[in-house]
Amino acid sequence: MASFHTIHGSGTTHQAEPITPSELRSEFSHHDPTVARVNNGSFGSCPSSIISAQQRHQLLFLRQPDYYYFNTLKPSILESRRIIRSLINADHVDEVSIVDNVTTAAAIVLQHYTWSFFSSAFKPGDAAIILNHSYSAVKKAVRAYISRAGGHVIEVPIPFPVKSDDEIILEFQNSLQMAKANGRKIRLAVIDHITSMPSVIIPVKELVKMCRDEGVDRIFVDGAQAIGNVEINVKEIGADFYTSNLHKWLFCPPASAFLYCKMSDELSDLHHLVISHEYGNGLAMESGWVGTRDYSAQLVLPEVMEFVSRFDGGIEGIMRRNHKKVVEMAELLSEAWGTELGAVPEMCSSMVMVGMPACLGIKSDEDALKLRTHLRECFGIEVHMYYRAPMEGEVDQITAYARISHQVYNRVEDYHRFRDAVNKLVKDGLTCSLLPN
Amino acid sequence: MDPPTEIEDPRAAANGDNNHVSKKLKLSFITEPEIRQEFAHHKLGIARINNGSFGSCPASIIAAQKRWQLRFLQQPDDFFFNHLQRQILHSRTIVKDLINADHVDEVSIVDNATTAAAIVLQHVGWAFADGRFQKGDAVVMLHCAFQAVKKSIEAYVTRAGGSVIVVHLPFPVKSNEEIIAEFRKGLARGKANGKKVRLAIIDHITSMPCVVIPARELVKICREEGVERVFVDAAHAIGSIHVDVKEIGADFYVSNLHKWFFCPPSVAFLYCRKSPLSPDLHHPVVSHEYGNGLAIESAWIGTRDYSSQLVVPDVLEFINRFEGGLEGIQNRNHDAVVEMGEMLAKAWGTNLGSPPEMCPSMVMIGLPSRLGVLSDDDALKLRTHLRDHFGLEVPIHFQMPRDGEIRAADGDGCITGYARISHQVYNTLDDYVRLKDAVSQLLSDGVVCKMLRRE
Repeated sequence: MASFHTIHGSGTTHQAEPITPSELRSEFSHHDPTVARVNNGSFGSCPSSIISAQQRHQLLFLRQPDYYYFNTLKPSILESRRIIRSLINADHVDEVSIVDNVTTAAAIVLQHYTWSFFSSAFKPGDAAIILNHSYSAVKKAVRAYISRAGGHVIEVPIPFPVKSDDEIILEFQNSLQMAKANGRKIRLAVIDHITSMPSVIIPVKELVKMCRDEGVDRIFVDGAQAIGNVEINVKEIGADFYTSNLHKWLFCPPASAFLYCKMSDELSDLHHLVISHEYGNGLAMESGWVGTRDYSAQLVLPEVMEFVSRFDGGIEGIMRRNHKKVVEMAELLSEAWGTELGAVPEMCSSMVMVGMPACLGIKSDEDALKLRTHLRECFGIEVHMYYRAPMEGEVDQITAYARISHQVYNRVEDYHRFRDAVNKLVKDGLTCSLLPN
Repeated sequence: MDPPTEIEDPRAAANGDNNHVSKKLKLSFITEPEIRQEFAHHKLGIARINNGSFGSCPASIIAAQKRWQLRFLQQPDDFFFNHLQRQILHSRTIVKDLINADHVDEVSIVDNATTAAAIVLQHVGWAFADGRFQKGDAVVMLHCAFQAVKKSIEAYVTRAGGSVIVVHLPFPVKSNEEIIAEFRKGLARGKANGKKVRLAIIDHITSMPCVVIPARELVKICREEGVERVFVDAAHAIGSIHVDVKEIGADFYVSNLHKWFFCPPSVAFLYCRKSPLSPDLHHPVVSHEYGNGLAIESAWIGTRDYSSQLVVPDVLEFINRFEGGLEGIQNRNHDAVVEMGEMLAKAWGTNLGSPPEMCPSMVMIGLPSRLGVLSDDDALKLRTHLRDHFGLEVPIHFQMPRDGEIRAADGDGCITGYARISHQVYNTLDDYVRLKDAVSQLLSDGVVCKMLRRE
């Protein structure tokens, strides 16, 4: 990924002041100080200097909206798109659109293929392939736009816990082969770069290549968790579409995302769902005006680049340290609880799945949610909880994993508190069946 | 459905005190200095008479919004699980009461009218795709429909094989009867070859040129003519005219809350009349709530800043600081803008585009023909020129003479240009005097639109 200094080709050799620990604390002082916030993956986080930058844009619009609309908005969006293009190594800024979030990006891509079914370019029964661990909202979107239009949906059973990329590659290969054997034409593959729950880095480059080799028409990579978390090189990954949320790990305010669409003839038919004046001018332009909105969350990339440049190693340094720290903390927790990690460290991003002690009796999704709520309300711990149903023949398997995260604002105390909370629950003999609904 | 008993005041959480203002006895109305204070963030030196395009938001509402934004940033998970849905429901309930809907289920909150149009039209697109509608079945729209809506029709109806019937309404216009007659004629003509009309999209207040449409009567005509469903685009309506969705009788009704209802950018409601045959609308952005009804789907479309949707209770409080509440504001805005319109028309020797009773809080005023507004491009150039050189924010409309008909003229020729002036609580007489003087200046300088530079 390009660093701040290579992005601003204007030659600004802005030497950013390294951020001090006290400045860092100040940047996140709006976070509830009583909460051990180890769930950066759900809603992200935003430093106060970025919030201020956002508010400056909001105020500019409120002061004189017409002027802002005619003179300021478009160039500001273009600037953000340029920065993203450089970060993800896209060829051309036209390939980069900014939308509200990955959920929106998914709907845009999927609706495009609904039209293919309508126009009979696709036949009923043509398939889309997704992962079993694809994000539930994306699965619903696949149902709403593909199944509803007559498409068939294949779910690849990705194993979890997982020890290597090969395990994932094998399952994906199996699913492709089965589809082929059944005479199914696979029109679209939706592949996560980092699955949400359970969270694992997927070998997307290999899976995209496999899809190409096996004649899958188009590949859409859902990288919702990726930017600011792992390296993204869209050319290397080779997908047709790639999307990621900017507010999760790239310090933008809620909410914005980019949708990368590799140049192709098909793109002139790709449209935003909300149609306005820019209809027909390309997705990037259409996305730049979806009616009167507060676009400010999309406009603070320049300030974000300055912010990350204040950290040693810039965004790469942040990613490296987050990963190292979260693995270290995960190992601390799993050791303290006598459990295991859900994936090997190389398959973990800035998040790790840590096994929960079996005696807590997490036996369903509802139990996982109850435990999560209990941890929030009684211990001030914010952590996402995953229920893993035992598979046939399994004995003594871990049935739940906490998804811990590490971002620049976290401290060792956050994980110690989590460790101690769970130890207390175990000591007190708590099981999920005892928790209120 | 009653509003939730526990009404959140984020200030209570922030300050720890419980001065819930709405419980205090109101001793006096908002004062002029307080109003100025509320809009002090508007750029000084600009005569802001285009409230219709982007609306306006008082400082106390912006502050309320910031409190909600902070709540999310402080602890987003807790906000998501414990507060967001309840607050959206509270806003929806207030809107339901304001518009006289029967049931809060009928009220969805979406980003803006543009989004609402996409929701309704995407549904039409699906109906063509799965054979419920036949190729060639029609959608009716007004010729002056908002451009974004026209494009949405192209994107979801034309693309899916539907046809479009365009009904021209007269402008300038003298009475509702003119509009009703033209609509009836236009609709009948469009249906002439036996087309099945699946949807009519009717503006409640057209944007450009701006006129209050007799929506209730047009909806009735649609029903008489066998139009299956009617969608009223009332983007400008709430906060500027009386809105009673049951009276209007449409199937779908949308209005922006950030234009005339003091909400921050941006938020709108989409009303969908409940009936045994009411269609299953979906939000195009599909998330966890898919299938739980449009209102619930719209309340979670992925991680977003929903704060503009949560300040509706604060807006109600703000509005009630004015004498006569919302109705008082609406009436005063209307009276003031008509007065200013008449002042300008007199000064320029031109006309109003419609009689006062067909004007909301905006008026179309004929521009002197000597300015030579002869195209949309001219109108935009003039608007830009007024902004850059006179600090005036006012949209300009080019009215193409239709069928060689001259509907308005001044001493020098046909009137083809109109300024759309607005009046909102922050405006002063000076704003309009400046417009009057600017146009007089342009005339005395012999400025004609074609001389103006393309910015």
